[in-house]
Amino acid sequence: MIKPVKALFLILLITACSTTEKVTEKSPVYTEGEIENAALTDDSKVAEMLESYRPHYQAEMGIVLTEIENPLIFEKPEGALGNIAADALRFRASRESRRLVHIGVIGEGSFRINLNEGPLTLGEVYEFMPYENHLVLLKLTGEQVLTLANQIAEQGGSPVSGIRFQLQDNRARGVIVNSEVVTPTKEYWVATSNWVADGGDNFPVLWSPKERIDFDVSIRQLYVDHFRNRKMTEPFKDGRIRE
Amino acid sequence: MISRKDFLAKSLKASAGALLTGATGGLLKGRPSDIITILYTNDTHARLDPFPDNATQFAGLGGIARRANIIKKIRRNQPNVLLLDAGDVFQGTPWFDVYGGEVDLKLMSEMKYDAMAVGNHEFDHGLDGFAESANKAKFPILAANYNVAGTLLNEFVRRFIVKEIGGYRIGIFGLGIQLDGVVDKKLYGDVQYRDPEVWANGMVRSLRQYQGCDFIICLSHLGYKYDNARIDDVELASKVEGIDLIIGGHTHTFLDNPVAIQNPSGKNTLVTQMGHSGVRLGRIDLDISSGTEVNMSDRFYTIGKV
Repeated sequence: MIKPVKALFLILLITACSTTEKVTEKSPVYTEGEIENAALTDDSKVAEMLESYRPHYQAEMGIVLTEIENPLIFEKPEGALGNIAADALRFRASRESRRLVHIGVIGEGSFRINLNEGPLTLGEVYEFMPYENHLVLLKLTGEQVLTLANQIAEQGGSPVSGIRFQLQDNRARGVIVNSEVVTPTKEYWVATSNWVADGGDNFPVLWSPKERIDFDVSIRQLYVDHFRNRKMTEPFKDGRIRE
Repeated sequence: MISRKDFLAKSLKASAGALLTGATGGLLKGRPSDIITILYTNDTHARLDPFPDNATQFAGLGGIARRANIIKKIRRNQPNVLLLDAGDVFQGTPWFDVYGGEVDLKLMSEMKYDAMAVGNHEFDHGLDGFAESANKAKFPILAANYNVAGTLLNEFVRRFIVKEIGGYRIGIFGLGIQLDGVVDKKLYGDVQYRDPEVWANGMVRSLRQYQGCDFIICLSHLGYKYDNARIDDVELASKVEGIDLIIGGHTHTFLDNPVAIQNPSGKNTLVTQMGHSGVRLGRIDLDISSGTEVNMSDRFYTIGKV
């Protein structure tokens, strides 16, 4: 009794399927595996369209700014690229404000690429710092500077300039600024980007400074200028944050 | 959220059931597939080329031509595809410095995107920069809570669209983030931000009652979740009833699966987001065969990696 029912069902199913095939959809053209693999290959039409824009892109972005001697990379607690990134902020802020800027700080999260050995192009610097941010100076008390050092320590280190300390159990020990021990009641100037000052990269102490000065200096342009002024950029570490 | 396997098993049962209850070949004739496939991205940020090998994250991943390839192959399999983006197509690589968003929007048009939301970075070259690039888009740009009347964007930005697929109506509306404090006032000019919750409620009412929509998608650039008072997708989902799916952006959140949030009607609103830079392509399939309940399945593809 059961067998005929099953057979009838199968016939219905087959008939229905074949009817559907003729009239509307075919069975899937690709397996799910083939679809996943498609994410490894370019669509030729879109790739061709993109390539048609590339010559002009290259002409504008392929300009060589400097030579990188050895790969520059972000590292924790201290990396050669982080040192350059934070130094450039502090030096420029000092020049713009005509005063002693004690500290430069920014998070690695603000950057997108490490820098390869060889010629460094304008396009790579724009990739390195992709967003339109500007230079900001913040006035902190010595006490806030010590908090900042600890917030940097909690992240296992970040790009810094003008400040030195040792990491111990996620805390900053022996904090030195401008070759001196930090005085809690003294005031210090800290250079960073508006993005960091407004909440990016997670240094909460920077969100309530004693004073804030915004400069009409694009951070990207700041880095372009910084690299352009060097024939050769060599990596260096000086133990500013050490374990 | 049911798994893909469950979903496939269920949809198989449903079609067998239809056959056994006497559906004829006639009924199936000319009837499009019962699956609507929603493909989506957010915060692609001018990442037209894959991330370079020296990228601090996602080295070698992404790339718009590879995304186009996988989308094309999915379209060969699925007749009913909606392709959506939740905003911040602009800014993030030197392509934006050279061309604004022009190349992105042209290539997205070639890929047949159906709509995108307005992200805050769409304002990065000002309203004229936005309008000039938007002119290249062959798909609507959505933001229900931005008042663009009297600005250059009036021609390009719409509140919602309705897509009809096999008699099934899908309403799609956009929501943009608060501009003050996020975008420089000089850049957004006279565009006015209005309360997303109020406008979402208005959109749902309008799409359900007057447009006869069966399913509502919100393309949101509000952000997934915040610790502060700023409205986010999770809060929106919990406060507004009638939205089926929120495709989000802004916070660059990688959600492996959509998150179900109970809305005031007791039903679930799904919230999803695909990180950033076109590293992932999201996919949600709606099985509308039952006519009453919509079964959903989801997955994502990593572009540049299997």
